[in-house]
Amino acid sequence: MSETGTGKTEMTARVGVYLCECGPNIAGKIDLDKVMADILSESDRYRNVELVIRRYGFLCSGPGKQYLEDEIKENGLTHLVVAACSPRDHDSTFMGVCARTDLNPYLYRIVNIREQCSWVITDPEEATERAATYIRGSISRVLRQSSLFEKPLEINPDAVVIGGGAAGMEAALALSSDLRRVFLVEKSASLGGGCGITMPQEKAVIEDPNVDIYLETQMSSVIGFLGNFEIGLKSADGKDEEITAGAIILAIGSDYSDPQESGRISFSESDEVHILAEAERTLEAAGDLKLRDGTMPETIAVVHCVGREEQGYCSGVCCSSSLKLAAAIRRLSPETAVTSVYRDLCLPGADGENVLRMARESGVELIRTKGTSLSGMELDLEKMDGTSEKRSFDMIIPAAAIVPAADTVSLAEMLRIPLDEHGFFKEAHRMTDPAGTTTEGVFIAGTAHGPMSVMSSMRFARACAGQVLTRLVPGERIVPEVKVTEILEAYCTGCGNCLDVCVYGAIYADTDRGISVVNEAVCRGCGNCFASCPSGALRTRHFTNEQIFREVDEALR
Amino acid sequence: MAAVLPVGSDLSGAMNRFLKTILEKDIVDAVLMPMKVPSGDSFAWIIMSDSSIVDDAEAMAPVMPVQGARALRSLTRKGEGSIRVLALMRPCEIRAAIELSKLGQVKTENLILAAYDCPGAVPMDSFVSDPSSGEDLFRKMLAGEDVSAGEVKPSCTSCVEFSMTDADLHFGHFGLGGTEVLLIPGSPKGMEILEALELPADRETSIWDEAVRKRREKQVASRDAAFEETGENIRGVQGMLNVFADCISCRNCRAACPICYCRLCHFESETAKQDPNSRLDSAVTRGGISLPADRMLFHTGRMTHMSLSCVSCGQCSDACPADIPVAQVFSFVADRTQKAFEYSAGRNDGDPLPLRSFMKSELSGIHEMVSDAEPGGHAHE
Amino acid sequence: MNSIVMKQDASTAIRELLAYLLSSSRVDAVLTMRQVPETGSCDLGLITDPSGMVEAEPFLPVMTANAGQALSSISMSGKRIAAVLKPCELRGFTERVKREQGSFDNLLTISSICGGVFPLEKVISGDLEKLVPRYIEKTARAEAPRGLRETCKACEEFVPMNADISVSVTEHGSLMHLHSDRAEEYTEGFEGERIEARADQSHIDRMMKSRSAAKGKLFQSLEKSSGLDGLVDLFGKCVGCHGCSRVCPICYCQHCDFESINFDYNQPYFQESLEARGALRLPPDTILFQLGRLTHMSFSCVGCGMCSDVCPVSIPVAGIFKKTGERTAGLFDYVPGRDSEEPIPVMVFKEEELGDIG
Repeated sequence: MSETGTGKTEMTARVGVYLCECGPNIAGKIDLDKVMADILSESDRYRNVELVIRRYGFLCSGPGKQYLEDEIKENGLTHLVVAACSPRDHDSTFMGVCARTDLNPYLYRIVNIREQCSWVITDPEEATERAATYIRGSISRVLRQSSLFEKPLEINPDAVVIGGGAAGMEAALALSSDLRRVFLVEKSASLGGGCGITMPQEKAVIEDPNVDIYLETQMSSVIGFLGNFEIGLKSADGKDEEITAGAIILAIGSDYSDPQESGRISFSESDEVHILAEAERTLEAAGDLKLRDGTMPETIAVVHCVGREEQGYCSGVCCSSSLKLAAAIRRLSPETAVTSVYRDLCLPGADGENVLRMARESGVELIRTKGTSLSGMELDLEKMDGTSEKRSFDMIIPAAAIVPAADTVSLAEMLRIPLDEHGFFKEAHRMTDPAGTTTEGVFIAGTAHGPMSVMSSMRFARACAGQVLTRLVPGERIVPEVKVTEILEAYCTGCGNCLDVCVYGAIYADTDRGISVVNEAVCRGCGNCFASCPSGALRTRHFTNEQIFREVDEALR
Repeated sequence: MAAVLPVGSDLSGAMNRFLKTILEKDIVDAVLMPMKVPSGDSFAWIIMSDSSIVDDAEAMAPVMPVQGARALRSLTRKGEGSIRVLALMRPCEIRAAIELSKLGQVKTENLILAAYDCPGAVPMDSFVSDPSSGEDLFRKMLAGEDVSAGEVKPSCTSCVEFSMTDADLHFGHFGLGGTEVLLIPGSPKGMEILEALELPADRETSIWDEAVRKRREKQVASRDAAFEETGENIRGVQGMLNVFADCISCRNCRAACPICYCRLCHFESETAKQDPNSRLDSAVTRGGISLPADRMLFHTGRMTHMSLSCVSCGQCSDACPADIPVAQVFSFVADRTQKAFEYSAGRNDGDPLPLRSFMKSELSGIHEMVSDAEPGGHAHE
Repeated sequence: MNSIVMKQDASTAIRELLAYLLSSSRVDAVLTMRQVPETGSCDLGLITDPSGMVEAEPFLPVMTANAGQALSSISMSGKRIAAVLKPCELRGFTERVKREQGSFDNLLTISSICGGVFPLEKVISGDLEKLVPRYIEKTARAEAPRGLRETCKACEEFVPMNADISVSVTEHGSLMHLHSDRAEEYTEGFEGERIEARADQSHIDRMMKSRSAAKGKLFQSLEKSSGLDGLVDLFGKCVGCHGCSRVCPICYCQHCDFESINFDYNQPYFQESLEARGALRLPPDTILFQLGRLTHMSFSCVGCGMCSDVCPVSIPVAGIFKKTGERTAGLFDYVPGRDSEEPIPVMVFKEEELGDIG
């Protein structure tokens, strides 16, 4: 404690500044001794602050971390600045070091003098000066940071799977195998979904004691966050039920586009036109494809790429399914002539060529066209040589595009998940988190995510299950974000700016009091709301104006 | 098409009678209109349910002491309630009320917003110092007589939205020689009022249309000239510094602004305050600073916060004790920011506030980079 | 009292003293009025570079902001500051210090026998150039210059009450009186003849005479504000901008209660009021705000007149507050800003006051 001019006693801060050499990565360019000397020479600028400033080889190494820990303890540091690499690399490392001491990890700050300094600035003198500037800014900031305390919460390890198709069932089984309780919620009256074949998982799921199946039921509401969701269910007969779970897996599948949507295909209900998935199902169940009058068709045309242009994407799996179906019809009823009408063949993967060979070998006629239109039972084929030909068939099977399921939009709104440009659920990150979403604890499996094969659906289902199993370990506690936004209610006017820009649905309007309220458990501290508030009624912890402005001030001095 | 309200000797009086009638016939529960204050040198907004009080009120006041939208805000911020109120105001007040309704500060469900052809307002300081000349001046303005530009609020001389707004009901009198007022319904609510009074909207409005068009032409020219001058004056940082050189940081401009709805201005809050040490540091860096500090930060910051919703009502200039042409600057900037977003403040056309909504095209660039690029619920084409 | 004789005019001498304090590192910064020579625009400057002193106009009869308010937060930086304050600014600052909004610890206060300031409108209109020479002439003769702020004309507290250094400008020459050890210490080495002297009492007496007469007239003119009708008459045209409270050196609240959530009404309030009275003014609480502010701060009012200056509808706010303040403070024999050690009357109890409660 020391006496200041104002006659009040103030704590003396002891700020430790540790510069990492990172081998030649930092020390090879930046004159660390000069940086230290420069900062020390100005240390009287900080009132009631004692600076401890040192350098070290590799702070992130085992001995480095031990050194830092010892330094914090021995010097009784109240604040810590580590000048090293990108926070992406080692922010958590050094927070961990703090956590082993009495120093609150939020009274520490990492300064990036590697990626944003030594690696990108060619002139060593400039890099040295810049490093000192960054560090000065961070000292100024760290002095204004406050201790934050994490409040770990008990987690609920159970999961809800929405959709009882191939992906949903697979995810349920994978979770059950680790003895997790699973609520499998299916909108229709039976499991199986839209994959066209009976999946072996169906029986296993029904028999699984860990899986509670809710048929003819939909999710009607959800609040909460990873580890603690409260989900409202509504059944077709109007019954409401509330369940709790730690994670939600969206496996709601997809729909097929309406073949007549484009206008180039038109038929009536009495015509023998059946979309691919329907034909697959009939063939699997009955062993053959008959016309409505019970006779066998003599000619069948399978038309690929129906709806591709309208949707603006290739569904990727229909060429393979179409050819497999064509070959299967030939195998089961060799008298039937089967023609595949395609524009491009999309047969990715090692198995693709086999499918084509199989179709050829089974005698399927393949016709490539520039475009095909259908009127009644007559196909108008635009051949590649410019001529066109009209051919009638006894049965037409259009391979319609895979499109988002009807419930996608309402579920996305309920869970605050963005949709991609085609209207499917959007993953958190295509590369780094393909099964997750921006709402933590909500995962996507199967064609709810976009067109994919049954096999890929399974893989995604297992990926989702894996995420749930690793993120929600029974008995473990989960640490919600502490750098969240708080609302200073006295200043809030309830204008709703923050509500509109919150991606996480963490803010709601309290209409009685005419103000906005933050649900801290859901807030991720992104700061959108803070930026949108003209009243200064919002404050994001660890990113206050004071902290940011004073860091900038000091850096620009 | 419009209904017709006959005028006896006095335009304002005819409108008073209309307001009294709708109160007496219980078509609305209350009306909000200006009334002269006891000292006689200003007007205040009075909401009245007792029809006899209407006699003491004035449908069209010569001055705009408090922007009407602020009055509506105080009435409805915490909910619309159950009484139906007709508010008779200037077009810029209606426009501000519509902006505030987008910001959750005015609830319009039970409000009937009525406007009139506005001839402009007399500046507060000149009215306060000589009310009777102010009233004479306003009578001349209402009659369409020429008055010198310096006598009217500067923002009124360059106002191009002086007539039909998105009000529920509009009182049109320009070009009609003071013999009648056209009641022009702007919404089903306005129509309902006319129906309840059994006033058929069967008069065509071409004479009035033409008068409004002509006046607008004149006003546009004067606005363009004003913009040109302002644009020159505020050019560059130095230009802005010069214009605001006399600012004493009293913040009257934001207090008078109908759009500045914050309870505590960000720039007066703890968050915006610099600690004394840093303040001294900046003085050291620059050799000296002006106190109260952050004068320009306040003005440019306020501009950032509200210019998209600025209705150019001129209240800021009227309230400025240092005679800074705040309104001219803000109006000039608002014209440009609103054009940039193809947004027009105060319109009830369903356009959301630009900074609170996203256009899908805005997100295309960041789509791949930012995983949470598309915020929930508010994207529009 | 130890005093320094000023060879030049008071402004130049103080300018030199301030430059001396800065260049000798006795203070880190100086707070003074300044005027940009080219444009004539004036402001309150916090100056750290001695060369910036050329713009300093320490005794410019202008108050763009009450310096006591502006000084408030920076006085707590721990840095040493010399501040040139008008007596009412010093008193305003003292009142703030009592409320923990400022500190004298590292402050050297310089004030002077004050001739008053011109209203802002005169400053803005560019009349200053003409007015100031006349002002200097008149005040040197203890006469009242024309066109001052109403409250300045009627100000009887024009002699600084607790400054470290006070300046008295009389027809017999200008003196710098050193009232404190700090003043002695800081001015050590500053050139100028030291003599034992006090401010010219006859000069003060003559000023007081005209001030007291003006005050009588001002208060008389405000007699109509007595009673509720009088208040309604005076404040009826208030537009609720609250500019008066924002420029007030005593109104130190970060967020005025009358702008807070406490004065947000919901619909039933309006409906009930309408049913009861048939009419209601919007926004509500116009008079309540004024009465509330009178209650909160009038006993500390230093009569600086900033409030009247910023009032967009020319309400004589300052006169009303000064008059009320003198009566309320008078009840407690309290003079706002007289002494930083004197407790604020409504914050302390005398034992006999507690008798009834006990």
